Amino acid sequence: MIIEVEHLVKHYGLVKAVDDISFQVGRGEIFGMLGPNGAGKTTTVEIIEGLRTADSGRVSVMGLDISKSPDSIKQKIGIQLQAPSLLPLLTVEEILHTFAGFYKRHLPVEGVLELLALKESRKVLVKNLSGGQQQRLSVAMSLVNDPEIAFLDEPTTGLDPQARRGLWSVIQDMQSKGKTVFLTTHYMEEAERLCGRVAIMDNGKIIALDTPHDLIKNYFEEKAIEFEIEHPPSKDALRNLPATTNIVIDGTDVVIYSDDIPDTMSALLKYAETEGLAGQLKDLHVREATLEDVFLKLTGRRIRE
Amino acid sequence: MSAFNRLLVADFKQFFRDRTAVFFTFAFPILFMVIFGFVFSGGDNVSYDIGLVNNDESQVGVAISQAVNQVTIFKVTEGELNDSLDMLRDGRFRAVVVIPADIQSKISQGEPADIAVYYDPSQTTSSQVILSVLRELINETNRQLTQAPVLLQLAGQSIQTRELSNIDYLVPGILAMSVLFLGLFGAVPLVQWREKQVLKRFGATPIHRSTIVSSQVAYRLALAVVQALIIILVAYFIFHVQVVGSWLVMLGLVVLGTLTFVSIGYVAVSRARTVEGAMPIIQLIQFPMLFLSGIFFPVDFIPGFMRPIVTAVPLTYLGDALRQTMVNATPLHSLAIDMAVLAGWLVVCMALAIRFFRWE
Repeated sequence: MIIEVEHLVKHYGLVKAVDDISFQVGRGEIFGMLGPNGAGKTTTVEIIEGLRTADSGRVSVMGLDISKSPDSIKQKIGIQLQAPSLLPLLTVEEILHTFAGFYKRHLPVEGVLELLALKESRKVLVKNLSGGQQQRLSVAMSLVNDPEIAFLDEPTTGLDPQARRGLWSVIQDMQSKGKTVFLTTHYMEEAERLCGRVAIMDNGKIIALDTPHDLIKNYFEEKAIEFEIEHPPSKDALRNLPATTNIVIDGTDVVIYSDDIPDTMSALLKYAETEGLAGQLKDLHVREATLEDVFLKLTGRRIRE
Repeated sequence: MSAFNRLLVADFKQFFRDRTAVFFTFAFPILFMVIFGFVFSGGDNVSYDIGLVNNDESQVGVAISQAVNQVTIFKVTEGELNDSLDMLRDGRFRAVVVIPADIQSKISQGEPADIAVYYDPSQTTSSQVILSVLRELINETNRQLTQAPVLLQLAGQSIQTRELSNIDYLVPGILAMSVLFLGLFGAVPLVQWREKQVLKRFGATPIHRSTIVSSQVAYRLALAVVQALIIILVAYFIFHVQVVGSWLVMLGLVVLGTLTFVSIGYVAVSRARTVEGAMPIIQLIQFPMLFLSGIFFPVDFIPGFMRPIVTAVPLTYLGDALRQTMVNATPLHSLAIDMAVLAGWLVVCMALAIRFFRWE
């Protein structure tokens, strides 16, 4: 196992930011960590990266104890932080050259520019970069030492769909070269698509850890009926429909989770007709459950909140 | 290239792209020197407006009036008594000299004659200068009239091999001031990096904190040396101020001074969370130090109860050391004491900075 975390605990004052968690990440895995803000994700990741020290517990990275040999670990990991407001008066290639110089071994800067589609903006000062370019630069900086493990913190935030897919293929390429990627993300679609396994964190604990497929299968056998309506009916009224397991109403969005879609659907349509709402159900459709649904069920919150 | 060199190169690139920083580092001290240099050098050829009322057209009266006219620092205007006194009251004259009508007849009768001088005692400095010049002039005239032989004569001997002018005094002060500024602000980039999470990002790489700090200090030292060189060259070419002492000692003093003030700067901002918070702290140290160090005026002007502060601030010693080395001015302390005090401040502040500087 390339990362081993055992009984990790970290307090901030009276708050238990990380509450006795243990997990492992295998070599060559794309490992995802999800959780609402304040769940303890960032603290956990920063302890593994050696940026913070734990109150107790053990973290080993590539077989080395992070508290004992942070330097040799840092040579071989790449870290992307959020909000990279870095040295605004250097150009893209200068900042990559500077960071490359911090490592014993590094990739040619040229190749990293190519990989992250930054060749055209190589001479642009960091302060003049667009949000998406800055985001790609911060990923490029984390890959410049050809790391065994890349820790990417919401790497696709602020990227347009094309750039996002570009980055996904960079991440998948790394995996095909035997590298490990530790990903925190807000995008469920991204996690489902990229991650071999996903850990869901809430209140300092890991509340679920499995492949996206098994998470959905284990926590969510039902499917979802979704529609929009200007004045949603009460939850109780909808709960009386047959085979429903849960109702979520968020503004004008209504989600009805059901064990038996035909049964629930026909009852819903009948109910709408008797209440005179039939014409008001907009964008009515049935979908498979997603990681987002699992997340919502487990944490009671939507991840984008 | 090593991490240290990469950081140093990055620091210089950023510096030269920041026009404000370049201006304040290089142009400001020069501007300061040129302005003050011309203001002070104006003091070397002052002249005073003097009103002269000659009521005696005799040989003696004319001789005295000619003598007054020949004093180079006097600009003499002859006129009537009442008009001249009005001019004095209006501030257009600094003094009015009146030669009485009966001067020749009194002298020939062997009686002393009074030459009246009207002046404004509130103009302390100029009145004293004018009165002593006139006194000297009258004495000389007396001596010539009485044909008395010269028995005693004052021979002024400067202890300087060459005359020190105001600008000679000023240039080492400007040098000390620019070392102070460059040093005290030396920790600001690190505060900014901490605030903007650059230090956190560096912390995610194998680079050591000591490498980050030492590259910052090396960068400051290089700036300080270049800045000092520019100041010295400008002083030489515009004001003909020469370095009479050893260039090596000068370099050593600039380096030692920069290190000392950089370490003071680090201590000062060790707990500041933001650059906005750090600036006032630095200014709170910088301005009192600037005025209580005697780098721009002799410490004799500072009242006695403030002297202990003068004795404590390191800038006093840097200014003194630079002044005695650069223009051979009279030292306050020996060079060894100056350097020892600076080194003492350096060691203490470095220890404090290592202990208290906040990285996160």
